[in-house]
Amino acid sequence: MKRFETWHIFLLAGLLALVVLFYKGLWGDPTALPPVIISKPAPDITAPALLEAKNISLKAHLGKVVVLNFWASWCLECKEEHRFLLAIQKRFENNPDFVMYGVNYQDQEKLAKEYLQIHGNNFEHMVDEKGKISIDYGVYGVPETFVIDRKGIIRHKQIGPVFGDVYSNIVENVIEPLLNEPA
Amino acid sequence: MLVELGHFSVVIALVLSFAGIITPLIGLKTRNATWVVVGRRAVLSTFVLITIGMFILIYSYLVEDYSVKYIYATSNSKLPIFYKVAGLWGGHEGSLLLWAWILSLYCALATLIHWKSQPVVMPYLILIESIVLTGFLMLILFLSNPFERIFPVPLDGKDLNPLLQDPAMVVHPPLLYLGYVGLSIPFSFAMAALFSGRLGEEWLKATQRWTIFAWLCLTCGILMGGYWAYYELGWGGYWGWDPVENAAFMPWLVATAFLHSTMVQEKRKMFKVWNLFLIILAFSLSLIGTFLVRSGILSSVHSFAADPGRGVFILGFVTFMLVLSFGTLMIRAPKLRSQIKMDSMVSRESAFLFNNLFFLVALATVFVGTLYPLAMEVLEFQKVSVGAPYYNAVFMPVALGLIFLMGVGPYIPWRKSSSENLKKLFVIPMLFSLGMTGLFFVAGVRKPYALAGLAVVFFVLAAIFLDFNKLASFWAKREKSNRFQGFFSAYRNNPRRITGIIIHIGVLVMVVGIIFSSMYQTEKILIMKPGEEVNLQAFQLRMANLYGVKGVNWTGQEALFDVYKEGQIITQMHPQKRFYTVSQTPTTETAIYQTKMGHLFVTIPEVAPDGSWARVRILHNPLVLWVWYGGGIMAIGAFMNIFRRVRKNRMPVTDPAGMVPEVSANIPQPTR
Repeated sequence: MKRFETWHIFLLAGLLALVVLFYKGLWGDPTALPPVIISKPAPDITAPALLEAKNISLKAHLGKVVVLNFWASWCLECKEEHRFLLAIQKRFENNPDFVMYGVNYQDQEKLAKEYLQIHGNNFEHMVDEKGKISIDYGVYGVPETFVIDRKGIIRHKQIGPVFGDVYSNIVENVIEPLLNEPA
Repeated sequence: MLVELGHFSVVIALVLSFAGIITPLIGLKTRNATWVVVGRRAVLSTFVLITIGMFILIYSYLVEDYSVKYIYATSNSKLPIFYKVAGLWGGHEGSLLLWAWILSLYCALATLIHWKSQPVVMPYLILIESIVLTGFLMLILFLSNPFERIFPVPLDGKDLNPLLQDPAMVVHPPLLYLGYVGLSIPFSFAMAALFSGRLGEEWLKATQRWTIFAWLCLTCGILMGGYWAYYELGWGGYWGWDPVENAAFMPWLVATAFLHSTMVQEKRKMFKVWNLFLIILAFSLSLIGTFLVRSGILSSVHSFAADPGRGVFILGFVTFMLVLSFGTLMIRAPKLRSQIKMDSMVSRESAFLFNNLFFLVALATVFVGTLYPLAMEVLEFQKVSVGAPYYNAVFMPVALGLIFLMGVGPYIPWRKSSSENLKKLFVIPMLFSLGMTGLFFVAGVRKPYALAGLAVVFFVLAAIFLDFNKLASFWAKREKSNRFQGFFSAYRNNPRRITGIIIHIGVLVMVVGIIFSSMYQTEKILIMKPGEEVNLQAFQLRMANLYGVKGVNWTGQEALFDVYKEGQIITQMHPQKRFYTVSQTPTTETAIYQTKMGHLFVTIPEVAPDGSWARVRILHNPLVLWVWYGGGIMAIGAFMNIFRRVRKNRMPVTDPAGMVPEVSANIPQPTR
C-alpha cells in the first residue's frame, strides 16, 4: 500500500474502538442493576402511612434498628413470608430500639388493607405512592427486606421471602447482634 | 450411539472445511486447478456431513433422547412434534449448528450453480466460505457442543422456553439465519473480485439474485419476529427497538442500500469501491449481530445466557473477518477509482447517492442507539437504556426522506435532468399528495408526523401510478394492444424494474400501517373484576368471567370478555395468564379481535392470587394488519424478482476492458 488515506484511518479507528468496546462489554452483566446498597446510608423516607392518616419518617428512628419490608397484596411470596414477619415483630416489639415497617409497593390501597385484614397485622405500613422509595432502595421485585442499623446504615438485604432458615438467620445473625451494638 | 455418529460427522466436517481453506490457496499458488476441485469436493462433503449431524439431532429430539444435554435443556416429552423439531434452534448450541448448516448449504449451492459460469471466483468463494464455516464449526465443537451428553440421564426434558412455543417463532430464526448467512455469498464474490482484480460489474450481476434472496429472508424474518413480539410477548407493538431486533435490522438497512447502489454500478460504472464497502459492511454487521445476540452483552428480551468464553471466541473471529475484509478493501481500493464523474446533482445517480446516504444515516442512528448503553456501562457512567423516544426523534425524519426518494429515484433520468423534465414528472404527484393530505387533515388527522408521512406516501404512489401508466401505454401502442396487456409486456421486458416497484408499493402499504397503528393507537390499563365494563373507542368490553384453565404443560387463568359495539355483542375474547409448570415460567396470552384491518388487543398481565381481579390491558391498533400486508407485498415482489425470466437477447458486454482479468494467468481452469 502506498499510503494511508483519511478514510482508512477513520475506518481502522472505528473498528478498533468497536472491538475494544465489545471486549470490555463481555465482562459486564447487562442485567445487573446498580450495586446493592449494603453498608451505605439508608435513603431517607417520608411517606404516608397505609392504615392511619399520618406521615412516617425514617429520620425519626435514627438510633434504632429498622427493618423495612417491601410487599404487595398481589405478591404470592409475600403471603408465604407474612407470618414470619409477624413473628419478627412479636419477638422484638418490647425492645424500644426496634422498629419494623412494611412498604406497600405498586398496589391499590383497598386491596392492601384487605390483605392485612385477612392475614393479620401487628406493625405499621407506609405507601410507596410513586415508586420513589423502591427506586431509592434498588428494589426490583417484592418481597425484599432491608435491615438498617442504629447509625442509619443498611446492613442487610434479603431478596425474596423471609421464611425458614432465612428467618432464623435474619433474626439471630442480623437483628439481634445489631440491637446489641452500642448506639 | 447415533448421537456420537452425528457428533463425529460434524468433527469431520470441521476437518474438511479446514481443507476447504487450504486447497484453494494451494491451487492459486501453484496454478493447479485440481486443488480447487478438491476444495469443491471438500465443501460439498461438509454440507452432507453437517446435514447428517443436524438430522441425527432432530431425530434424537423426536425419540426423546434426554441423555443429550442440549435436548434435555430445550425439549420435553409433552411437547407437540412441531415444537420438538423447533427445539433445535431453541437455544444457543443448536442455533449455531443451524447457522453453520445454512452456511454450508449456501456454499454448496453457490459452487454448484456458478462452477461453470464463474471459474475465476470459485477458489476465492470456497476459501472465504470455508474460513467462515471453520470459525463457526470450531465454536460449535469446542465451546458450545449440542451433542454433549449428561449422566445420569434425566427422565424428562426441561421444556422449550414457552415463549418460543409458537408457530411464528418456529420459522423466525431459520429465516433470519437464511438472511444473515445469505449475505455471505455476495460478500464472497466481492472478496473474490478484490483478490482476483476482476473488478468489473460481473460479480454484481452474478450475485444479484443471491442478495435479494438473502434480503427477502431477512425482511420476512424481521417481520415474523415483530409479529411474534406483537401477540406472544403481549407488547401490543411489533417493534420495540430492542437491541437484538436492531441487530437484525442493521444488516437489513445496509443490504437494502447495497441492492440500490449496485444498479448505479451496473448502469453507469460508478460507486465501485462503495459497493464493495457496502457488502462487506452488510456481512460484517451480520457477524456483529450474531456476536451481539450470542454473547449476551446487551440487555434484551432475547435474554440468552451470557458466557464470556464464547463471547471472546466469537469476537476474535469477527475481528479477524473485519480485518481481513476491510483490510483487503483498503489495499485494493486505489485500483478502483471510478473514472466517471457525476454529471449533475439532479439525476438518478444522485438520487441513488442520497438513498445510500440516508440508509447509512439510518444505520448510524440505530447503531449508536444500540451500543450507547453498552458504551456508557463500559466507561463506567451510569446505566442507561435507549428507547423509542430517541429512535422516533432521529430515525423518523430519515425514514421519511427515504420514502420520498422512492418517488424520485426510479423516475428521474440518468445523467442529467432538465427542469422541464422534472416538472413533467413531479408536478402531478406533488399536487395529488397535497390534495390527499388536505383531505386527511379535514378528516381529522392532525399529528404532524402522520400528515408528513401520508404526504410522502401519496407523492410516491402518484409517481408510481404515472410511471406504470406511461409504460403500459408505451407498450400498448407498440404492440397494438390495450393498456392492461401493455403493462404485462412492460413487465416481461423489464421484470427487474417492475418487481422493484412492487416492493416499493409494499413499503408504502407498510408505512401507512405503521403510521396509523403507532400514532393512533389507543390504550387502557386498569384493574377489573368480573362484571365490570370499560369503553375503548367504539368498543365496550365487559369482563364476564375470570376462571382457572389448564393445558397439557401449563395451568393458568382466563378472562372472558364480551365485546359490544353500538350495544350489539360482536365477539367474545379470552386472554390468558399462563404458568408453564415444567419450566416454571409465566406467559401472557393475547386475545386479538380483528376489526377492519385493525386489531382490538386484550391481555391480562396480572391476575389476583385469589382470582378476584385482573390487571387488564386493552389496545386498539388501527390498520395494524397493513404492516404485514405490506410485508407480504414486498415478499411477493422479491420472489418475482428472483424467479424472473432471463431475457434471451442478452446485451453483449459493453466494456471489455473492465472484464479482462489483470491476473488471469493465475487463474486455475477447472478440469470439469
